[in-house]
Amino acid sequence: MAFESFNQLLVCDETITNIKAGNQEVGYEFKIQYPSYRGTFLSCIEKITVKVDGKLIDNGQIGFYINGKEVLIDELPELFREYWFTTDYARVRVYGSGLELESKHLVDVFLRHRIPYTGYFGNYMVEDSVCTKELEVV
Amino acid sequence: MESKIKIGISLFSLTPLYVSRKMSFEDCLKATHDMGFEGVEIVAAQMVPEYPNPSDEWLEYCKEQITKHQLKLVTWSAYVDMGIRSDRDLTTEEIVQYTRNDLIYAKKVGAEIVRTQHAITPEIFRKMLPFCKELDIKLTIEMHSPHHPDVPVWKEYLDIMAEPETEGYLGVVPDFSIFQYTPHKLAIDSYIAGGCRHEKLKQIINDHNEGLSAEEIIAGGDYSDDEIKSVHDIKHRFNAPAKVDDFRKLLPYAPYIHGKFHYLTEECSDPTIPYEELLKMMVEFGYEGYIACEFEGHSFEEDPRIQLKRFVTMVNRILKKF
Repeated sequence: MAFESFNQLLVCDETITNIKAGNQEVGYEFKIQYPSYRGTFLSCIEKITVKVDGKLIDNGQIGFYINGKEVLIDELPELFREYWFTTDYARVRVYGSGLELESKHLVDVFLRHRIPYTGYFGNYMVEDSVCTKELEVV
Repeated sequence: MESKIKIGISLFSLTPLYVSRKMSFEDCLKATHDMGFEGVEIVAAQMVPEYPNPSDEWLEYCKEQITKHQLKLVTWSAYVDMGIRSDRDLTTEEIVQYTRNDLIYAKKVGAEIVRTQHAITPEIFRKMLPFCKELDIKLTIEMHSPHHPDVPVWKEYLDIMAEPETEGYLGVVPDFSIFQYTPHKLAIDSYIAGGCRHEKLKQIINDHNEGLSAEEIIAGGDYSDDEIKSVHDIKHRFNAPAKVDDFRKLLPYAPYIHGKFHYLTEECSDPTIPYEELLKMMVEFGYEGYIACEFEGHSFEEDPRIQLKRFVTMVNRILKKF
């Protein structure tokens, strides 16, 4: 199965949930899955961009949560001992304000990832995965 | 003569069901048993939680599940993920560490063989011999298309495998992709979807099977750009890098074999890989290991078990002939 066939897995068919601190909504989050037949090391993620309803979210606003840790997108290239397991969902946390309950939003994720076992001739295969789904806030 | 060849499966073959969470690891094992497979290969990077350092608890759980489903864990499939760092490739010491750990986890979970990749390098492959002896476990390198026994690095690997001191510890996993000489149905479908005309594509494949070069094929017909593109793709992907007789050179060092395929017909046969010739050689050799089904033609639209059952039927039918 070609790598692009897995793209449909990238944005999970789940809901958006608001992040609360006490009664205060401080953002929202949704889940993503690594789009491949296997997992990968976080350092192989070369780029992530997130758009919600067509609006590009600044990476500084995003927390990438996996394995009980939240990291910045810009930190990913350094995390060569941290593994994103095949069926584990990472959470994309967008900080700012929450979203209206039961509203629906178009979530678009672009992921550029290096395939770490393909560098036989000095160059690694790099895949671009894109997935857009409409998710509901619950 | 009754064959002692056993039929196994790489759980990779169930990828679409596993990654979409329709099947858990345990479900995969149950399905494997129900379809008639005996031996199992786990792709650690795919199905082992906490990879690359799984817990003893999970490894114990895995052993229990293998026993529960009356299977045998044959192979722990490992990677040489050379490019995990953004600043450089892994060093020799780092590859040794990952490989040594894979040997240890494989031993703990009860596998007999670790499959690794040719990027391991001859130096590191040889360096792993003491660990293999200490753990009494085999380390094997998969020979996958576009490789073949005459690739320089493979000549080095085969020389190492031929040394008396490595016997029984360092070996090869021939993948039948090296014998794939013509496009499978999925590739043909993709060429058609990409704009190739049926009759033109048929001619291209016939010419390819007759041994014509890309230039000769293109010169022999009035082809569209899409069709010319398909000629180059066929020559790149389906050029049977290994000669069928090469398989005899590999068998003495092959404790495990990947029965690669992309599509088996309703009659349970593969018109693109010479399974009958290859299995006959295995029988004549007196092969006693596993041929593990590695189905790579899966999609999210079709249940892979349809193809996997066909594989069991095909292998059993062919083996009965010899």
